Amino acid sequence: MLEPANTAAAPRGKLHAIVAEFDDVTAVTEAAKRVRDAGYTQFDVYSPFPIHGIERAMGVRSTRLPWIVLACGLSGTAGALLLQWWTNAVDYPFKISGKPLFGIPAAIPITFELTVLFSAFAAFLGMFALNRLPRHHHPIFEHPRFKRATDDGFFLAIEAADTRFDANRTRELLQSLSSHPIVACDEPADDGATPRWVRAGLVSVAVVALIPFALALASRFQDSSKPPFHIVGDMDWQTRYRAQAANPHYADGRAMRPDVAGTVAFGELATDQVLATGKTGADWTTKIPLTVDAALLQRGRARYGIYCAPCHGIAGYGDGLVAARASELQEPTWVPPASLHDAVVRGRAAGQLFDTILNGVRTMPAYGRQIPRDDAWAIVAYVRALQRSQNATTEDVPPAARAAMGL
Amino acid sequence: MNTIPATSNARLGPLATRLRTFALVVALVAAAAGLWLGHARGDGFQRFQHAWLLACAFFLTVSLGALFFVILQHLVRAGWSVVVRRLAELMAANVVVVALLLSPLVVLAAMGDGSLWPWADPAAAEHHPLIAKKAAFLNGQFFAIRCAVYFGAWILLSRWLLRRSRQQDEARDTLPTEALERRAPPAMVAFAVTISFASFDLLMSLSPEWYSTIFGVYVFAGSVIAFVATTILTLRFLQSRGILRGSVGVEHYHDLGKLLFAFTFFWGYIAFSQFMLIWYADIPEETHWFHVRFEGSWAYVSALLLFGHFVLPFAGLLSRHAKRNLGVLTFWAAWMLVMHATDLFWLIAPGVTHGGALVDVLDVLAFLAVGGAWTFGLALHAADRSLVPVGDPRLHESLAFENL
Amino acid sequence: MAGDAHGNAPATASRSWFRPSLVEGDQDFASVTRRVAGVVERPKPPRAWYIAITISGTLTLVLFSLVAYLIATGVGVWGNNAPAFWGWDIVNFVFWVGIAHAGTLISAILFLLRQHWRTSINRAAEAMTLFAVCCAGLYPAIHVGRIWLAYWLFPVPNQMSMWPNFRSPLLWDVFAVSTYATVSALFWYMGLVPDLATLRDRAVTPLKRFLYGFFALGWRGSSRHWHRFERAYLILAALATPLVLSVHSVVSFDFAVSLVPGWHTTIFPPYFVAGAIFSGFAMVVTIMVPARQLFGLKELVTVRHLENMNKVILATGSLVGLAYLTEFFIAWYGGNAYERFAFLNRALGPYSWAYWLMVFCNVVAPQFFWFKRVRTGLLPMVAVAILVNVGMWLERFVIVVISLTRDYLPTSWGHFTPTLVDVFTFAGTFGLFFTLFLLFCRFLPMVAIAEVKTVLPAAHPHAPQGAAGKEHAHA
Repeated sequence: MLEPANTAAAPRGKLHAIVAEFDDVTAVTEAAKRVRDAGYTQFDVYSPFPIHGIERAMGVRSTRLPWIVLACGLSGTAGALLLQWWTNAVDYPFKISGKPLFGIPAAIPITFELTVLFSAFAAFLGMFALNRLPRHHHPIFEHPRFKRATDDGFFLAIEAADTRFDANRTRELLQSLSSHPIVACDEPADDGATPRWVRAGLVSVAVVALIPFALALASRFQDSSKPPFHIVGDMDWQTRYRAQAANPHYADGRAMRPDVAGTVAFGELATDQVLATGKTGADWTTKIPLTVDAALLQRGRARYGIYCAPCHGIAGYGDGLVAARASELQEPTWVPPASLHDAVVRGRAAGQLFDTILNGVRTMPAYGRQIPRDDAWAIVAYVRALQRSQNATTEDVPPAARAAMGL
Repeated sequence: MNTIPATSNARLGPLATRLRTFALVVALVAAAAGLWLGHARGDGFQRFQHAWLLACAFFLTVSLGALFFVILQHLVRAGWSVVVRRLAELMAANVVVVALLLSPLVVLAAMGDGSLWPWADPAAAEHHPLIAKKAAFLNGQFFAIRCAVYFGAWILLSRWLLRRSRQQDEARDTLPTEALERRAPPAMVAFAVTISFASFDLLMSLSPEWYSTIFGVYVFAGSVIAFVATTILTLRFLQSRGILRGSVGVEHYHDLGKLLFAFTFFWGYIAFSQFMLIWYADIPEETHWFHVRFEGSWAYVSALLLFGHFVLPFAGLLSRHAKRNLGVLTFWAAWMLVMHATDLFWLIAPGVTHGGALVDVLDVLAFLAVGGAWTFGLALHAADRSLVPVGDPRLHESLAFENL
Repeated sequence: MAGDAHGNAPATASRSWFRPSLVEGDQDFASVTRRVAGVVERPKPPRAWYIAITISGTLTLVLFSLVAYLIATGVGVWGNNAPAFWGWDIVNFVFWVGIAHAGTLISAILFLLRQHWRTSINRAAEAMTLFAVCCAGLYPAIHVGRIWLAYWLFPVPNQMSMWPNFRSPLLWDVFAVSTYATVSALFWYMGLVPDLATLRDRAVTPLKRFLYGFFALGWRGSSRHWHRFERAYLILAALATPLVLSVHSVVSFDFAVSLVPGWHTTIFPPYFVAGAIFSGFAMVVTIMVPARQLFGLKELVTVRHLENMNKVILATGSLVGLAYLTEFFIAWYGGNAYERFAFLNRALGPYSWAYWLMVFCNVVAPQFFWFKRVRTGLLPMVAVAILVNVGMWLERFVIVVISLTRDYLPTSWGHFTPTLVDVFTFAGTFGLFFTLFLLFCRFLPMVAIAEVKTVLPAAHPHAPQGAAGKEHAHA
């Protein structure tokens, strides 16, 4: 006989399915084959674990889940490549550690990760979506012994929606297969849908949750003159002493600490006083302390061209490009650079020229930070040669060369 | 389930003699032609040596992949693979042929001929400070000793595996299989150490100033691909002659296809790791190795490897249906063998091909010669004995094997 | 099925070639359900559980307090300082990420390799993965200093119109670890759904029925659902397998793309992965041995399961040893003076104690697993597993600290000393890990009920009748 599942007085809906129970895998698999062979398509087998080969017994077609996963995975690949290319090479291009703005080798790891991430979500969500889950309420749960389906029971339900369904014939078929009582499960009158207030609540929560994002998005398109919001200010406003500020901790009241007396910078140990300062005792040396040869002069010429010629001019007349431009603009504060061929300059000792290069004079800045000591001496040597070239006499030309020069 | 008994028609039979004769004739003719042509080049056999090393490396990797496979099956006590294991055992034991064919190159190097391995020339260390630093390792005598150790270990190991497995065919107990399973773990350790260092010696030291710690893994990945692809093709060939039809079915091909797919992916992973780390760190002493391979027509070979050795077969073998369709699977197996040869060409040849990535007729002749000899050796090992381990206690499990 | 009872041994076989049963004690479907669900349904857990969670909970509180202290004060509370700007934070991060590898390996790779013995341990191992990822992810998050700006790591449109630098391996790490955490969680939860349905159907209180029922999503064991479920499981396993490889490879890229001696070596990706699996399995053994004793799961998680894991530990430990050897050899072979020095300094320098202890723990200790007695003895195996965990922590310490404190310029050499905050934060992560694990054991099925049922002989059609068909009290 056909036992109704919900014997309580609850109002009954229309018939959902007729359910048979089985004790083991073999019986339910055999039954599935018989039901399939009888031409039913809208039926299902319920078991506590996946039964090997039941799809074939039931005639279930292979799922299209792999295709969904493939499509999502490929969009993950494409999305990752686009994201990396657009953000790092188009919208905000910056060079770092000599890598191309968008290089395939460096893009592979993230592309791979996003491909896997998208595919995994597709597999997970796709599986539940194709299974029409979550669905917390289902007519089959009305079956009084259905709790065994997640423990050790096996059930076969032929649904009323099947075109071949006939309450009596279907029941007879199932009775011939199962030794357990056959049960009819009805659709509950109440369709089990989520109550309206729950749905309304969920929608409201979702809307409220979106507000911060909407505000953030809106502020992206607004200008503001307010200072940025600082959550923790100690990196923005640090307690520290600025350069040249006073600091009461020290006797001299200075925040910037001078070098300890006797500190020597790397490579600047002045063992040779003449070489380092241009002075012998208190007087300027008149002799260049390096060997003056063609190499030194060439070096001096090159350094002079870089550091001196812009103001003093290539020939040393104080007519360099900077000076020319300044006088063209009639800069009121501009002090024209000295001509190196003035008698005063020519009369200066080599040591004094050296000192001027390193430490500057009047408005000429000090070049000691740019020009190494030996280079400064090379420049002095070259300046001496320059001075001599502009005040040379025939006597200075070697006799052998005079004829060639027409002298 | 199979209806034909597994043991029926599991021998080469008359095919063995035909195979041996044919392979030997091909090998001898190609070797003679190659030697004559190599001599005619007048480069002190330099080009020929490279071609010969390429051919030997190809068949060596097949044998080593087979050796790995056999040890692995015993190690994990696999059931599915029993019906294909004998072929792998034969291929592994065939490493002795490669040892014989490769020995002249090793002897030349030991005698100070630097035309293949540049460091072998005693004068090389004088010109190159990096080679001088490695002279304690990279010198002819020590190299020859190491090669003897590698090949000795492989030959002993593979012959022992084959002998024990054949004992099981006739044995009334399962002692041989138990011995195989007991010895598999230490055998795997020996295999891992030897293949790493052999890769450094035989292939990496072709560019003696270059180094990469992952190189052994790279060669290993290629070896397994070469072995699986060769096995698929061999099975298809034998089955087309009516052999092994009763034992090897689509389920076994499916699993071989999975291995081919997995190791194609693994190769891609290892190749990418090696390239990306060197590309990113950008240290000249490492990048020059790739630089040579990205110049001129070598760039096309590099691109071919990226797509042909990884991207295309990955896409082609991804689907379950591709792995279960014997036509498709055979195509990819053949494809991967060609790609494996290309990979080795890419590793070996840039040292000698000055005009770009040109395949020389010597490469073809050497390949035919070594391949002929290797096939000859294989047929010799197979003899007229069963190609299925008929006495294996897991044979029935393998025959009944079914993928989920 | 590879594990089926198709073996057909010759009559004289000296041992059985049948695949032995994966569970012990004549189990049927109902007894598996009872055994596993019983742990959760017991009104009170064993006394040891309370003791354990008190200790681990206290440590977790220590962790949270120290994290709060760090955020309020700054990363200066750690021992990181020039030249070792990476210290225990990165060491512990890599350590925990490594631990996190076993779970997905067991659930994904062993699944693809048809290793059915995984069914008894995969649930707990996956849970362990998630908890280890929590501990791991904590470190980079708090190491960034201004933690409220951590969202800069993600490509979020922001007020500065700036984007993260996708060419940096540290950003790859963000993506790799977060993808790994997400996919592991999906995989774990998906596997849990049918078991939650079992708990739902057995629940006696309305609250439990509601909670388990809510998360069971209405699972009803339909074969049409199982079909898609199994396919999705296979796909997730196939995705998780390369993902596992990629995560620790990407972690290794953090080091290997740099020019620091001892860090830049091409074998790092596979070597890190092998090490991660090694440490992960050691951790699974460490916690499964007490857990199975405590919760009466000895028949489902048998000594054979543990022995198999120990074999994996031996294999991966030997692989790690081979990688050490290769690294050392190539450091010499490469001829680069700095590399040679970096490796000699590991072995002979100021941290040589760490190096040799690491070699002992990682290479020597697992070799004891060659002996079956060690592999199957509970105390010896836990001892070796703990040594391996110590060794793998030291490996990361050796890599991170030794290379940073001894780089190219001797003038910038230094020494790293952890602070007490470092030490207690690390101890606190163990507290977090064990707290989560203990909660998991108490409230969720720690063995995959449905999956274990599939490896019972009765799960296959044409199996002997009646093996699992017994009526029982719930009917």
